[in-house]
Amino acid sequence: MKIPFSWLKEQVALSKSPAEIADDLIRLGHEVEGIELPRAAVQGVRVGLIEAKVPHPDADKLSLLKVNIGEAELLDIVCGASNMDVGDKIPVATVGTSLPNGLTIKKGKIRGETSCGMCCSETELGLADESAGLLILPADAPIGMEVGEFLQLEEAVIDLSITPNRGDCMNVRGLARDLAADANLPLADINSQTAEVESTVQAVAVSVSADSDCPVYLARRIEGVKLADSPAWMQAGLIMAGMRPVNGIVDVLNYVMLYYGQPMHAFDADNIDGDITVRSAVAGEDFAALDGRKLKLTAGDLLVSDASSVIALAGIMGSEASGVSNSTTNIVLESAFFRPARVSETRRTYAMVSEASMRFERGVDPLMVATAMQQASLLIQQLFGGQIGAITTCGDAAAIHAGVRVRCAVSRIESRLGIEIPESVDAVLRRMGFGIERSGNTIDVTVPSFRHDISIAEDLSEEYARVIGFDAIPEVLPSLATIAPARLDRSIHDAVASGFLQVVSYAFIAEKEQRLFVPADGNDISLENPISDAMSVMRRSAWPGLMNVAKHNLNRQQAGVALAEQGRLYVKTANGHAEDNVLAWLMTGEVARDEWCGSARNADFFDLKAALESWLAVRGLTGRFIADDSIVGLQAGQSARILVGRVEAGRIGKVDGDIAAAFDIDTPVFVADINLDALPEGKKAKFQSLPEFPGVERDLVFLFDKHTTSEAILNTVRSAGGKLLNDARIFDLYQGKGVPEDKVSLGIRFSLQAADRTLTQEDSDAAMHAIIEAVGKRFAATFRG
Amino acid sequence: MSDIEALNEQLAGLQEEALKAFSGATDLAVLEQLRVAYLGKKGALTEVLKGVGKLPPEQRPVIGQQVNAVKQALATALDAMESELAVKAKAERIEAERLDVTLPGRSGPVGALHPVQQGLDEITAIFSQMGFAVAEGPEIENEFHNFDALNIPPEHPARAMHDTFFVKGLSSGENAEPMLLRTHTSPVQIRAMRRFLEEGHEPPLAVVAPGRVYRCDYDVTHSPMFHQVEVFKVDHDVSMAHLKGVLKHFLSTYFEREVDIRLRPHYFPFTEPSAEVDIGCVFCARKGCRICKGSGWIEVLGSGMIHPNVLRSVGIDSSIFSGFAFGLGVERLVMLKQGIPDLRLFFENDVRFLRRMGS
Repeated sequence: MKIPFSWLKEQVALSKSPAEIADDLIRLGHEVEGIELPRAAVQGVRVGLIEAKVPHPDADKLSLLKVNIGEAELLDIVCGASNMDVGDKIPVATVGTSLPNGLTIKKGKIRGETSCGMCCSETELGLADESAGLLILPADAPIGMEVGEFLQLEEAVIDLSITPNRGDCMNVRGLARDLAADANLPLADINSQTAEVESTVQAVAVSVSADSDCPVYLARRIEGVKLADSPAWMQAGLIMAGMRPVNGIVDVLNYVMLYYGQPMHAFDADNIDGDITVRSAVAGEDFAALDGRKLKLTAGDLLVSDASSVIALAGIMGSEASGVSNSTTNIVLESAFFRPARVSETRRTYAMVSEASMRFERGVDPLMVATAMQQASLLIQQLFGGQIGAITTCGDAAAIHAGVRVRCAVSRIESRLGIEIPESVDAVLRRMGFGIERSGNTIDVTVPSFRHDISIAEDLSEEYARVIGFDAIPEVLPSLATIAPARLDRSIHDAVASGFLQVVSYAFIAEKEQRLFVPADGNDISLENPISDAMSVMRRSAWPGLMNVAKHNLNRQQAGVALAEQGRLYVKTANGHAEDNVLAWLMTGEVARDEWCGSARNADFFDLKAALESWLAVRGLTGRFIADDSIVGLQAGQSARILVGRVEAGRIGKVDGDIAAAFDIDTPVFVADINLDALPEGKKAKFQSLPEFPGVERDLVFLFDKHTTSEAILNTVRSAGGKLLNDARIFDLYQGKGVPEDKVSLGIRFSLQAADRTLTQEDSDAAMHAIIEAVGKRFAATFRG
Repeated sequence: MSDIEALNEQLAGLQEEALKAFSGATDLAVLEQLRVAYLGKKGALTEVLKGVGKLPPEQRPVIGQQVNAVKQALATALDAMESELAVKAKAERIEAERLDVTLPGRSGPVGALHPVQQGLDEITAIFSQMGFAVAEGPEIENEFHNFDALNIPPEHPARAMHDTFFVKGLSSGENAEPMLLRTHTSPVQIRAMRRFLEEGHEPPLAVVAPGRVYRCDYDVTHSPMFHQVEVFKVDHDVSMAHLKGVLKHFLSTYFEREVDIRLRPHYFPFTEPSAEVDIGCVFCARKGCRICKGSGWIEVLGSGMIHPNVLRSVGIDSSIFSGFAFGLGVERLVMLKQGIPDLRLFFENDVRFLRRMGS
């Protein structure tokens, strides 16, 4: 909300600068978004009289002007406009002036001719979005005067963001009240003059049936209005305050609203059919709103109707047909208090926001309803004439929010704030409208009619805090019981330690990308109001997100990426939904690059598998990788489920080539994920004494059938190797020349060790024989050496 | 010439010849050959010793001593030469193995934590060390935890300001209330307090709750998903002074310098009083700069004393206990600390950015 500084000054004699007042407003709890300085923005622009004008010798469209700005010498100015003549008065930006558009005026030559200033248009002065030619000033403008002063440009406009609890400050009067109370200055009286009522003007017949939603409703007719544009000062003020002038009546009502906080409405009396009723809507009633929308109303909406149709959605918007137009002569003015929650609900139902609804929703001052009616009537009559009728009043404004009182112990507020509250502060709150009686440790507070946000002691503590100032509250470290710190989740840290870059991607993805890795089963959770299709469904796999990150980076000359992400996956379940915490990996492209000591290599399945194995090992776990051709999105034959203990904890594999291509990735992509919530607790390592006696290593090479899994082979040799076998690992794998096509040559290295002695040749021979025999029996493998 | 004289002469000649040969040896291998040639089992000295047998017995010890002396002299010379050659050989080897130590090391993958993760870790650690327990909550929430229990009833204007994402096909409770993506981490306040009470505890309760939150707002300065950390404490006589103390300690620790803090009265439905918290601009030492828009202050978080309605919604008696709470935006703090100019960088995941910010 924008407030012209001069309006505040009309209400309270502020002696501080706009910036200082902005600081006071901040301290009092009103967020200042910025301060505009329209007058200072054109400082250095002065009224000039054109005394001579000749064409530029070298440019058709330029003129050479001699301009009098009230100094000893006339200014030479080269000007590109064409709408000025000798004798015109125009704004001249003198040398050194910085204009609102950022241009700083320098003395210079334009096509060889000296120019000592610039004649300005309204656009260049920041007064209009567009303009045709120079701003020609009235003939009586004093030569040499600052144009900002002559045009009476606003000194400052303060842009405020009023919090929802302070509806009372969505107007000049409310803010001025806070400032006056704070600075101990008087607040201007509201003009108490009342409009003279013409008995010839009929009173408006109003009946209010929904009186809990509309506890007070005032209406009056004004006849014979000669509608014209609102005066320049009012239009200028409205524009400064961020509103568009519409027509004389609407402008007056907006002005009253900005000034006093009471939103009002005007109907064209000739377009109203009979009496006015304020009532709840019947479901399905039609309403054609001013903004062109045609609504079917919901039962319970509060509306204003005449004998034949709905003429307003109360407190939100009038109807198109009943509105005031330039041909209107007779009007009905409405001023009312509509229940905030009612306005809020209806406004939300139709997503219809207006300046009026914003104020009604936050609660207007019931005692301002009649005052605003008087002020608006007077202004309308003063500006546009007309005969004013009597006010029809339904309900009692004084009964609304009457006598709200809070009684509490001063010490309660003091202990909440951590500071003492001297009695002197009460005076500031009294000036803000509170009735305060303090006796001993008890205060008894009567809340003013415009403060709908205060009903309990804690609310008062905030009032005291903002008056005293939050700065006055000391900084005290409380004593905190130390709780055993939770065990830190190291999941992503361990992935990063093995060379992966952590990424964070959005929890919502495109549904079609979800489908690449998750079959459609109706268990997706999608958003009612997504940002876009690409962010419309909650992810059930982290892989689409990782694929997109890989794509983004490969498109930016990265030869390879190794990514890891930790986050949740979201899925519908029988009794609601689940959010599983997962860790996911992606590797593609170069894992090693060409360098002086080695050559480039692309990532393969076993690079990623190694990362998972070491990740599991760090937490005392091992995984079984079980080949699984059925994992959606992964290539058959290069994909596996990961079994940890008895738990299906994760998956790994190569992304299907077509899918990778859909992400514009042409190197093999490997992905994996682990469900952290499903993962069993790892075993904390127990100490084991280090071997005292040396071990031996022996190698065996066999020819196996090509489809034999190394897991099966190793299981067999491990059980055959007996107690002495410490480890068996595949050190060589060969297919090719010298090995039959359906076979594979595997070299296995065994390490043997005993805890209590040095092994003998016989020991290891026996073990090797047992292994050779077992392997031969189990796999019909050929022993090669 | 007697046998003994001949032998003596032979020995002398042998010694002279051997010493000469030793000193002429160019490497250890040659020297070893010479050792074998002179002192080995079949060496020259052994040959000479064979002649000793021909001598009369009384002369044998004399010549024996002589032989030993020669043997000793040769061994000494050999040792000396050997060390000399060893030193030389080592020097040569060192020279031969000389590297260009400025060549880059073999490259291996270097991982990095995402800057948001680093921020979350740092922030959570500071509060952990202060005795706050870590808690989490669901991201898909019901309206009760996200709004109602936090004193934001349906008609409340603040509810509209939250730009809430609603989810399809899920509902909560008997009235089938819609479910949403939590708009802040404050629902964890409600969940943590309820759990705490259900477990039969009594305040004090101090919690730090990091997590992801969602707002339906997407532009240069807004991301539809971001991270918050919720911090609150409930106890007897918790005051705003404590809130300020904790904020000051936290912000100074996080920014690794003593920062000034400023509280401005504000409005949040779940706190009363409420305050927005500014820190003295960390870029210009409050002189005024582009980042703080000349004000010298930067807004960092929202805070306040927990509203009695919030305590009531979980069954804590607000006449006995009070509490403070605040919620901070992780991305915002990380941007300020690391000088990151654009929020979108966090979610673009450009690996060049991630590597750069990895330390």
